[in-house]
Amino acid sequence: METYNSIGTSTDWIVMIVYFIGIMVFGSYFGKYNRTTTDFFFGGRRFAWWLIAMSIVATGVGSHSFIKYSAKGFEAGFSSTMTYMNDWFFLPFFIFGWLPIIVYTKIRSIPEYFEKRFSPATRFLATILLLLYMIGYVGIGFLTMGKAIIPLLPPSFELFGVQIQITLMGLVVVIAFIVGIYITYGGQTAVIFTDLAQGFILIFAGALIFTLGISYLGGFDIFWDLLPTEWKLPLANFNEPPGFNFVGIFWQDGVAGSVGFLFMNMGLLMRFMSCKSVDEGRKAAAFNILFMLPISAIVVGNAGWIGKAISLISPAVVSPNTDPDAIFVVVANVISHPGVFGFIMAALTAALMSTVDTLLNAIAAIYINDVHRPAKKWLSKKTQTWKEEDRQELFSARIATAFFTILGVLAVIPFSAFPTVYEAHGYFHSTLTPPLVVGIFFGIFWRRFTNTAVMSTFVGGVALMVLGMHYPVPLIQIFAHGTEYVPEHPYIYIGALYNLVACVLVAVLTTLTQNHQQKLIKQIKKMPNHRFIMISVSIAASILFAMIIFNLGSLPVLLGVIIILIFFIIIVSDYFFDYNEAEKTDGLTVWSLAKTKEYFKGSKINDAEGEKVKVCWRTKSGEDETINFSTTDMAKMKANIGDLVYLSDARNWLGGLKSVHSVYGEPHSESGIVYVTEEHIKQGQFIQNKLLSAEKEM
Amino acid sequence: MPPFEQTWLPFFYLYGVGGIFFLSGMIVIRKTGGINLEKRRHRYWWWVLIFGFFYFVLIHAALTFAALYL
Repeated sequence: METYNSIGTSTDWIVMIVYFIGIMVFGSYFGKYNRTTTDFFFGGRRFAWWLIAMSIVATGVGSHSFIKYSAKGFEAGFSSTMTYMNDWFFLPFFIFGWLPIIVYTKIRSIPEYFEKRFSPATRFLATILLLLYMIGYVGIGFLTMGKAIIPLLPPSFELFGVQIQITLMGLVVVIAFIVGIYITYGGQTAVIFTDLAQGFILIFAGALIFTLGISYLGGFDIFWDLLPTEWKLPLANFNEPPGFNFVGIFWQDGVAGSVGFLFMNMGLLMRFMSCKSVDEGRKAAAFNILFMLPISAIVVGNAGWIGKAISLISPAVVSPNTDPDAIFVVVANVISHPGVFGFIMAALTAALMSTVDTLLNAIAAIYINDVHRPAKKWLSKKTQTWKEEDRQELFSARIATAFFTILGVLAVIPFSAFPTVYEAHGYFHSTLTPPLVVGIFFGIFWRRFTNTAVMSTFVGGVALMVLGMHYPVPLIQIFAHGTEYVPEHPYIYIGALYNLVACVLVAVLTTLTQNHQQKLIKQIKKMPNHRFIMISVSIAASILFAMIIFNLGSLPVLLGVIIILIFFIIIVSDYFFDYNEAEKTDGLTVWSLAKTKEYFKGSKINDAEGEKVKVCWRTKSGEDETINFSTTDMAKMKANIGDLVYLSDARNWLGGLKSVHSVYGEPHSESGIVYVTEEHIKQGQFIQNKLLSAEKEM
Repeated sequence: MPPFEQTWLPFFYLYGVGGIFFLSGMIVIRKTGGINLEKRRHRYWWWVLIFGFFYFVLIHAALTFAALYL
C-alpha cells in the first residue's frame, strides 16, 4: 500500500494556521454567552432550527466522514453514500418520542433519564456504557485527525540536533492538546457557532473538490463513463465482500448506528436541546436528514470517486494502491492549487476539531450530572449558594474535559489496529450501542419494561455480545445473511444484528416473566437468611460474568453460564430494587407525553395557536421575575398569565442568540411594550432600542 | 449487467426491512398519542414523515436506474 508524506506547500500551511486562528477567535467571542452551566452545556435552549441544522452538519460531517467515506468511495464507488441516506426510518420514534421526552423532562443527560425511569443503579450502569461510547467516539475523532494530517508532515524532523520521528500517536497527542484548550474555554454556544460557520465551509470545500475534480478529469460525462457500472450503484453488494457489504452496513449503520446517533449521542442531543422549542428541534432533525445528509454524502465521498477515476486514467498521479485513508488528502492535493489545498485541509481538520469538541462537551455534561453531582450529594454536607455551586461545577467541567481528552487519546490505540477508520468506527458502533439503544428504546416506548429488564439487558446482553466476539462462528454466522467469515473482518458490521437480537431477547424475556419473578422473590424473602443468600448470588454473578469476559469454557458451557447469570441478575435486581411501574412511567414514556408537558410547564397546557408580536422593551424593578405584556398583545398571542413565553431579538438572522424564556405576568395597558427584569436583559443580551419578538411557548 | 444481489436486492431489503421499522414508528406514535392528528401542526408533521420515506425511495430508485441504464 502506497503512503504519502510532506504533501502541500508552505502557502498551504500559512492558510491552515490563519484559518485555525480565525475560527478559534470566532468561537471564543461566543464564550461570553456562557453565564451558567446550562448555557455552557445546552446553549440556554434558545436557538432557531436553521442554526442548529447547519451546526449539526459540521458535527456529523466533520467527525470522520471526509476520511472514511472518501476511503470507501475509492474502494467501492457511490455506495459510500448509503450510510447517509438510511436515517429516516427511525425519525418518527425520535421527533415524537424521545425528543419531547428529553426536552420536557428537563433531563441533562441520558443516564439521568435511566434513574428517573428505572433506578439509581441503572443510571450507574448507563453512565459507564455511555462514557465508554463517547470516549470511543472521541478516540475515532482523534484517529481520523491524525490520519488526515500525517500525509502533510515529513516522516521526521530535527529539533536542537535531535532527529524526531513523526508517529500517528505522537501527532494525536499534539492534536488533543490543542482541542482540549479550545473546548475548555468555549462551551456549547461557542461550539454551536463555530460549527455553524464550519458547516457552510465544509459544504463549500466538498463542493469545491467535486468541481475541481470533474474539471481535472475533463467534464462530468468523462467522469461518469470512466467508472464501471458497479461503482455507480448507490447501494453495495448484498453480502460481499466482508469488508463492505449492504446487509452488514444496514444493521450496523442504518439500525444500530442511526438509533445510537439519534437516541444516545449526547453531543447531538444537546444540540436539539439547545433549540428554542421541540418543534424547532423537529425541523432541525427533518431538514438535516432530508437535505443536508444527501448533500453531505456527496461532499464527503466524492474525493474517493474522483481518486478512483484519476487512478484509471493516470495511475502515476493517483496510484490504485493508495492507502484508502489517505485518498482524500492525495486527491485534494492533486486537483487544487497551493493555498486552495491548505484551505480544504484547514476546513477538514477544523471541522474534525469541532466534532471532538462537541463530544468532549457532552462527556463533561455527563460527568457533572451523573458523577460529580451524585458524588457530591453523597459526600458533602456543606451548603453552597447557587452561584458558588455553579462556579465550582464549571471548573470541574473543565477539568473533566481535560481528563476525558486523555482517555480519548488512549482509545486511539485499539482503533488504529483496524485497516481503515471506517471499519474501526463500524465495529465500535455495532459493539457499544446495542445495550443502551435497547434500554432507551424500550424505556420510552414500552410501559411494561422494568428496571430488572434493563439491568438484565445491560449485563446479560453484554455477556451474550462478548460470547459472540469469542465465538463469531456459529453465533453471529446464524445472522450473517450469507456474509463470509474472514478473521480480518470478523463480522464487523453484521455483528450489530446479533448484538441487537441478543439484547432484545434478554429484555423481552425478562419483561414478560416479571410475574413469575415476583412470586419467586416472595418465596426467597420468606427464608430466614435471605439477605445473605442474595449477597452470595450477587458475588456469584460477578464471577460468572468474569468467566464470560475471559472465555473460561467451551461455547455450550458459557451459554449455560449466561443463562444462570441472567437468572441471578434478575433475582438480585428484583430483590434489591423496588420498582413501581405507575410512578416510574409517569411522564417518562411516550404514553404519557401530555403529562410530561404539564410537568414541564407546571400547570395546564394552553395549546391555542396565537401569533408572534413585536415589542419594545422597558426595564422593571422589584422581585417579580415574570414578563409583562399589554392586554392587547397577550390576546394576539392567545396567552394567559402563567403561560411560558419566548422573547428574542427581532432580527431573525441572529437565530435566537439574544433571547430568553420566561413566564407571562400580569398584563398592563401600554400596547407594544414589554416589561422585563435586569436579569432577563443580561440573559438575553438585549440591546437598547432594538425590537423584540415574542411568542407563546405553551 | 451486475447481478440482482448488487442492484435491486439491497434496495428491496432497505425499504422492506427499513419500511417495517418506519411503519412501526408511525403506528407507535399514533397509538401512544405522541402525535395528535387533531392538531394542525401534527398533521403537517405526519405528512412530512410520509413524504420523507418516499423521497428516499425515489432517490435510491433513480440512482439505481441511472447506474444501470445511463
